[in-house]
Amino acid sequence: MNSKNEENLKDLFEKFMDAEQAEKRVEDIQKAEQILREHPAPEPDDMLIGNIKAEIAMRLPARRAYVFRRKVYKAAAVAAAVVVLAAVSTRLFEKDVVEPQRVAYASLIPTAIWESEDITTDDVDLAIFTAEVEQIEDEVLALQFGEDGSNGERAISELEMELVEIESDFWKE
Amino acid sequence: MAKSDDLARLIIGCKNGDSGCFSQVVDIYASRCYGYFYRLTGNNDASDELLSELFVKLVEKIGSYKGGSFESWVFKIASNIFHDHLRSKQRQKKLLDARKGQLESEITELKQADIEQIDKLQIQLSKLDADTKELVMLRFYSELSFKEIAAMRSEPIGTTLAKLHRGVKKLRELMER
Repeated sequence: MNSKNEENLKDLFEKFMDAEQAEKRVEDIQKAEQILREHPAPEPDDMLIGNIKAEIAMRLPARRAYVFRRKVYKAAAVAAAVVVLAAVSTRLFEKDVVEPQRVAYASLIPTAIWESEDITTDDVDLAIFTAEVEQIEDEVLALQFGEDGSNGERAISELEMELVEIESDFWKE
Repeated sequence: MAKSDDLARLIIGCKNGDSGCFSQVVDIYASRCYGYFYRLTGNNDASDELLSELFVKLVEKIGSYKGGSFESWVFKIASNIFHDHLRSKQRQKKLLDARKGQLESEITELKQADIEQIDKLQIQLSKLDADTKELVMLRFYSELSFKEIAAMRSEPIGTTLAKLHRGVKKLRELMER
């Protein structure tokens, strides 16, 4: 690439001054370059060039080793980054999967009752309550059929009171 | 000047650590870079040293070349090496100043030897300020466009054009005296 020769100096100077001044400046530069060409600098010694080439040849294996080491380090760094990325993304994806959550039932009813096959026998309170209800049922039936023989109204109010009592006792516990 | 395809092939070879490709890069750039260093330092030994340093740096840094003008990249490294050289020279000068009395006669002898070696252009170049001299040499030896030089020096193209014009005009006047 010879950028210097591709450049139009006159156009370049004309961006900053008028055409006449630009031409004068281009001329100054060309004349100065002519002077420099007429006074060439000394050339480097062949021995110096030989020494430089020998020095380069001597340094190249070290450079190759350095380049190799850098490639290895780069590969190791990339591998480490991939491992970290994989670990992080696995965790992220794992989080995305909705696991079936364990349902925790909050209930006033003990687990034993849920799991029981015969609730009335397993739960003492319920058994007592059921027995009392059955007893009342029997008494009500007896009253209806007049088996009791006592004053029916009194018996019914007694029963109602008993029912209220049982109900309040049950909910107290 | 290598054709751009050939140069691209050489650069790939250099990146792969091919010593043959590096040798060809040395053949292409050694003369221009040596001229650049010589005109800036006015000294063969310093130029030898700087040229060797440049190619060692190229071997070390070729991996960091990411495309664009290879000339620009090479001369950017050359310019950095020259500035490092200037800094170390200034440090040496300070040390020498401390022992001025002792070394005065030796320095005079060395200076006379140098003057005998250098040409008229080199003498006149030394009358330009360091920055202008470097710019003129960069333009002449790197064969870069003004746009590339301005980008390399991180300055507006108008500034580069104005500085270079002032420099070459003064050089012309000095040479024509």
